Amino acid sequence: MDVRLIEQTCKQTPLYDVCVSILKSDSRSSKADVTGLALIMVDVLKAKATGTTNYIKTLLRGNLKGDVRRGLSSCADLYNTVLEADIPVAIEALQKGDPKFAEQAANDAGIEARSCESSFSGHSPLTESNKSVQDVSSVAAAIVR
Amino acid sequence: MLESDPSRDFSKHEDPSIAVPCSYIPLPDGPHTRELASARRMPPKRAIFKVFSGVLILALVFAIIIGGRNSDVHANGNALLATSTSSMASEPLRPVSRGVSAGVSEKANHVFSGVEVASFPWNNTMLSWQRTAYHFQPEKNWMNDPNGPMFYKGWYHFFYQYNPHGPVWGDIVWGHAASKDLIHWLHLPLAMVPDQWYDLNGVWTGSATLLPDGRIIMLYTGSTNESVQVQNLAYPANLSDPLLVNWDKYSGNPVLRPPPGIDSKDFRDPTTAWYTSDGKWNIAIGSKVNKTGITLIYHTEDFKSYELLDGLLHAVPGTGMWECVDFYPVSKTSGKGLDTSANGPEVKHVFKTSLDNDKNDYYAIGTYDEKSGRWVPDNPKIGIELRYDYGIFYASKSFYDLHKGRRVLWGWIHESDSEIADVKKGWASVQSIPRTVLLDTKTGTNLLQWPVEEVDNLRLTSREFERVEVKAGSVVPLDIDAATQLDIFAEFELDKEALEMTAQTNVEFSCSTSGGAAERGALGPFGLLVLADDSLSEQTPVYFFIAKGIDGNLKTFFCADQTRSSEATDVNKQIYGSSVPVLKDEKLSVRLLVDHSIVEIFAQGGRTCITSRVYPTKAIYGAARLFLFNNATEATVTSSLKIWQMNSAFIRPFQPGQDA
Repeated sequence: MDVRLIEQTCKQTPLYDVCVSILKSDSRSSKADVTGLALIMVDVLKAKATGTTNYIKTLLRGNLKGDVRRGLSSCADLYNTVLEADIPVAIEALQKGDPKFAEQAANDAGIEARSCESSFSGHSPLTESNKSVQDVSSVAAAIVR
Repeated sequence: MLESDPSRDFSKHEDPSIAVPCSYIPLPDGPHTRELASARRMPPKRAIFKVFSGVLILALVFAIIIGGRNSDVHANGNALLATSTSSMASEPLRPVSRGVSAGVSEKANHVFSGVEVASFPWNNTMLSWQRTAYHFQPEKNWMNDPNGPMFYKGWYHFFYQYNPHGPVWGDIVWGHAASKDLIHWLHLPLAMVPDQWYDLNGVWTGSATLLPDGRIIMLYTGSTNESVQVQNLAYPANLSDPLLVNWDKYSGNPVLRPPPGIDSKDFRDPTTAWYTSDGKWNIAIGSKVNKTGITLIYHTEDFKSYELLDGLLHAVPGTGMWECVDFYPVSKTSGKGLDTSANGPEVKHVFKTSLDNDKNDYYAIGTYDEKSGRWVPDNPKIGIELRYDYGIFYASKSFYDLHKGRRVLWGWIHESDSEIADVKKGWASVQSIPRTVLLDTKTGTNLLQWPVEEVDNLRLTSREFERVEVKAGSVVPLDIDAATQLDIFAEFELDKEALEMTAQTNVEFSCSTSGGAAERGALGPFGLLVLADDSLSEQTPVYFFIAKGIDGNLKTFFCADQTRSSEATDVNKQIYGSSVPVLKDEKLSVRLLVDHSIVEIFAQGGRTCITSRVYPTKAIYGAARLFLFNNATEATVTSSLKIWQMNSAFIRPFQPGQDA
């Protein structure tokens, strides 16, 4: 594992600790160049978005107040966009060598997570998940840059 | 590299004649994916159309009958159709921070850090209004850079970066359309797809060169199977087909690989070639070395083998990667365009680059000495100074229109709404109306851009308003019936007293950091409110602002203020604009092309241009209005306007028999 590459790359992101802890604990980063590290971060983003989507589905099965249900439905749409648009675009752009679209896609994922958080007028049941997704997306966007 | 998602493997069983890997698939459940996989083995376009339209109808029916939120995902590459009829009240307008915080790239354009931005409940009525009536856009999906524009055998040709599978970037191919007049476009089949190892990962941007012997050379960037950026040669399969439907790729591609010292991902977007007296053709390609943006020049005689010149055409430290560079002559004297190879004492050369760092297009005017191959900017202190457009305008490309003897410029206008809205509406991006480009012979230091004259043919009825007085702090409605497809020409005069009496200020004004149209100055802002509703709860002010500097001189600015353009919070709310030179005895004038979600603005005959995307939720269809306004504290403004209703350009697929 090229720890120095990980540290140098993560220094250029807004959340050094988040970045380093994700990359150091992922065995794929041992063989990765910077593009590879970006792809790992996008994959982690995908996993978190998938996890949040599943959690939203679970919550929606429960007995909920109207405004919470509406917020969760809005979030379901937003996370759908992350998984269906942002992640594939980021992966394709990184693999094919036009990274600016990957940066845009990673930023968009963070925006969607933030929009989700704003969908709740009262308490949000997704604050931790949304923050986690936003953090990883800002790190991913910075690595791509 | 990560393993590819197994549910996407079915793309490898595709019909090889349509070998575009589909990355837009993505369903969480396995079995559903497989169902669509078999549907794909039908002639893919028909399958997609059947599934898409069938499901579209279903989705609409659900929306009407059930009325609750219903998301249907159609993963055969087409857009997510989330029909939402939620009765959730729209979020109260929250204060939006001014300006983009340092370090946030232009692309992260809809959120200002720290501000919460809820997703607006866009419905189909609002979204379908956003489609333009007379700007070029494909019927659906994603578009970006203009490619290879040219005129041939009576037709204007336009190619563009296109994603055939969805409204986000990906699977890029060359779309193609043709027109007799740069306005009425007819969609043609895709010109090029990634079917060779040297463009398997991208058929990217390129330019056309028309040779004197009638041959057409198309040079474009391919991203190879190993994601190396190379330049490839293509040409029409049949030069006697005026529609140039089919294209062949040179068997010896790639013709250029990244040279030593240039990264394999920093070598793209070859220009149209220009001919120099040493008998060689020259092309330019943008790149970077560390953080210095540079432009390489190559010599060629046959477009198959090339020689890299020692000198760079231009370089500016700290600007990052240069994309879509353009290099062309402009006349100092005639009001006409020049062939790309023109040169002489009456000629200046424009160098232009798209900056990857801030997603804007910049140009500089200078002198090209073809003997030494060097171009020197008139103002060497600033490496790249002026922007073509102070709103959204990127990856632009010009060409010499030999049919009418003018230089014409295309620019990619991306969306500035939320991505989820793009996915809901099923498309993203339009092109600017093509613009003629000329040197501003009165100032000598900037270009003038103006919509091509053919757009005037879309004008229907007009209304004229003579010398309307707009007192300080007032709004005047303009009674014009519909207000979503307009061509407006307006002139403004201020009362002389106010101009002389106004005190000087030492504060430097800037559109983007100002308080927008609501911030009152002695001599501005004043202008028009477009795409506004009766109650002005939504409005897009476009206006002049005159400031008197410390030296007592007046400086004029032109701005477009999106802060109140929509009640939706998930759209860009920046203020665009710049200073605009106004010469002695000139009246203040502005032309606007309003076309649903795009407003193109040309101040002082095209000295300062601003393109804005606007997404109102209420000021749409019959509810949109147009107003004059004057929010200055001291000056009275008098305005004369002519306003035309604009017809649709009926951009549609080409029909043999009907269209030719």
